[in-house]
Amino acid sequence: MSTILRAAGITKNYAIGKREIPVLRGVDLSIEAGEKVALLGTSGAGKSTLLHLLGLLDAPTSGSIEYDGREVHSLSVGERARLRHQQVGFVFQFYHLIPELTALQNVSLAQMMNSSVFQYWGKRKQAKATAVEMLEHVGLGERLHHRPTELSGGERQRVAIARALIAAPKIVLADEPTGNLDSATAKDVVDLMFTIQKERQLAFLLVTHDEGLASRCDRIIRMKDGRVVDQERVNNELAD
Amino acid sequence: MIRAFSPFLAVRYLLTRRINILGVLGVAFAVWAMLVVDGVFTGFVRDIRGSVESSAPPLLLTDLPHDSSFAKLSDAMAADPDVAVMAPRLRQVAMLQPIRQDQRARAKRGSNQLDFDHTKNGYAMLIGIDPLLEPQVVSVPAWIQRGVKEIARYGRFQTPSVVFEEPDEERRAELLLPDRVEWAMRRRAGMPHDLDVNNHRSSLPGILMGWRRVFNMQHIEDGDPIEVVCASFPGSEGSGGAGSMRTTQKPFASAGWFGSGNRMFDEATALVPIESLRTMLGHDIDDLASIPLVTDVAIRPRDGLTATQLTALQRRLEQKVQAALPAGSEQCSVLTWQEQNSVYLKAVAQEHAMMQLVLMIVMLVSAFVIYATLHMMVVQKIKDIGILAAVGGSPRGIGSVFLINGTVVGVCGSLLGVAAGISSALWINPINDWLYANYQMELFPRDTFDLEGIPCHLEPSWVAAVAVGAIVLSVIVAFIPARKAARMNPVTALAFE
Repeated sequence: MSTILRAAGITKNYAIGKREIPVLRGVDLSIEAGEKVALLGTSGAGKSTLLHLLGLLDAPTSGSIEYDGREVHSLSVGERARLRHQQVGFVFQFYHLIPELTALQNVSLAQMMNSSVFQYWGKRKQAKATAVEMLEHVGLGERLHHRPTELSGGERQRVAIARALIAAPKIVLADEPTGNLDSATAKDVVDLMFTIQKERQLAFLLVTHDEGLASRCDRIIRMKDGRVVDQERVNNELAD
Repeated sequence: MIRAFSPFLAVRYLLTRRINILGVLGVAFAVWAMLVVDGVFTGFVRDIRGSVESSAPPLLLTDLPHDSSFAKLSDAMAADPDVAVMAPRLRQVAMLQPIRQDQRARAKRGSNQLDFDHTKNGYAMLIGIDPLLEPQVVSVPAWIQRGVKEIARYGRFQTPSVVFEEPDEERRAELLLPDRVEWAMRRRAGMPHDLDVNNHRSSLPGILMGWRRVFNMQHIEDGDPIEVVCASFPGSEGSGGAGSMRTTQKPFASAGWFGSGNRMFDEATALVPIESLRTMLGHDIDDLASIPLVTDVAIRPRDGLTATQLTALQRRLEQKVQAALPAGSEQCSVLTWQEQNSVYLKAVAQEHAMMQLVLMIVMLVSAFVIYATLHMMVVQKIKDIGILAAVGGSPRGIGSVFLINGTVVGVCGSLLGVAAGISSALWINPINDWLYANYQMELFPRDTFDLEGIPCHLEPSWVAAVAVGAIVLSVIVAFIPARKAARMNPVTALAFE
């Protein structure tokens, strides 16, 4: 398997007044294509910060990030946005759907990011069909035109998953995707994510506190005080 | 390149966020106000300028010495090929008093004594004109028609004066009324008259008064006698040395009224035959020592002169006249109609400029409304900005959402304002009439300026400038919150509660 994402010596400091607070103190990790990785750690360990840096939402203070062997941490904001759209899908704990848009529009929005008005107009029917297909795939074929406020937590997270996958990313970064769901719904959502992951051979990096969920991944990375303190490979056969 | 998500999301925000309506209404109100208020003011200025122009000769030679002779002046100017017609004028302050004594006047007024403390009655600026020449310089017959029309608006219907239609030039030069009219007046007023109307020949020179004076007199009919009193200093008019003040009194016959459209002119001015006024000032035409006295000369230049040629003519005539005046005389002036009324016209133009400034401030306030609504929306949508960034939205694309939003607000508001402004301009008089009929409210004091209706003139260039200006201003103010959105850190935005 090829390495899709590699981070080396990542540090991140935040300034509070005149003080600099180190949040990440030199993190090294790599993720292979089609690999499921769980990132475990206590609150304040730096998991979400690392996820944001790896997802190119923020720039590290030092260190390097590579996607498919290409250094990306020093790209411009616009280039990072383009790469994020092409390579990365995000799933958040609180779904982060746009409340004014229906489920279908939220998913379609992700298809519009890299197209001009005229380009999108030319392929709008095909784009819509793809979005409908994706929502049907996550079990929301009957809820296409519902707004987020009209959907349950599990349904919202399914919309978020569909949105993360619509642009065919190579890696999905999920920040406590079941943290806001009851256990039954959480299990359904995780099952769905892993099914799609397997179908599409996506790389998954999950930030979680849930040891049970982590044990279903291929590898578990443990963080403490901004450092990776432990990595363990999980027996996939047992986990599945 | 505009990313597809920017207009898509902008339109969704526009349709779902009611606060945008506030922005649209703010721009629409500002555009409407700018169009209507400026339209009325532009129409008003045009009307005022038209009225002032119609009340003044195209050129006026003035600032002459007190004993100037028209013969010398016309000799000096007649040779100029750009001068078409010259008409002498003699200005003189006077007091007027109707001398009719019939029962009806007393019953209405209690007394026909006029209130000399106010200019609307007793005081007058007499202008002695040559009735044969003056209509060739200014449109006196048009004034007479307008005078009848103005007074008819107040329910007093009179036929226009006929003194300028008199075929006999000698009688016209004296503004004499038809014999029957004057005979009837003499009989009504108890003045000496022949028993047989057919034997009567008119002899009282006519006086034409501004319609506002006639309106205030309550009862005045063609031929009614008007006593005119003038004061002069004989010595100052060339009879050698200063003398004591001399007053002269002369009866005239009311020969009708005029309306130039210039309120002050129509209130204060009365036109009389210049020879009659000269006689009152001691320059009787039969006196060999007298001169054809003038204070001004109304001039109509040749048609088709350019502004530059007109200015050159002014300077040329000033030089020629100055050369003909006695040495040491003060500098005479040849003024255009604008220069004759420069203070008034400048005041009106200044008011127009001030009004436009106030309207610009209204527009800025509406721009601030757009800014405030968009800024509020950016604050409310911080989380969305983070989501868009996470999904792959570029900063420029995210900023464009809000820029497009502001632009659409500006375009919609501008179009709405233009539609409302043009409609209001078209319907302003019916609206004003309705307001007056139902609530005794007037949008514009028409009577103050002798306007038939509220003048409203929308210049297409102004409409376009206001509409485009509103849109440009909307884009500029939308740019600030849009930039803020574009520069927002996605991580901070996602964490925003």
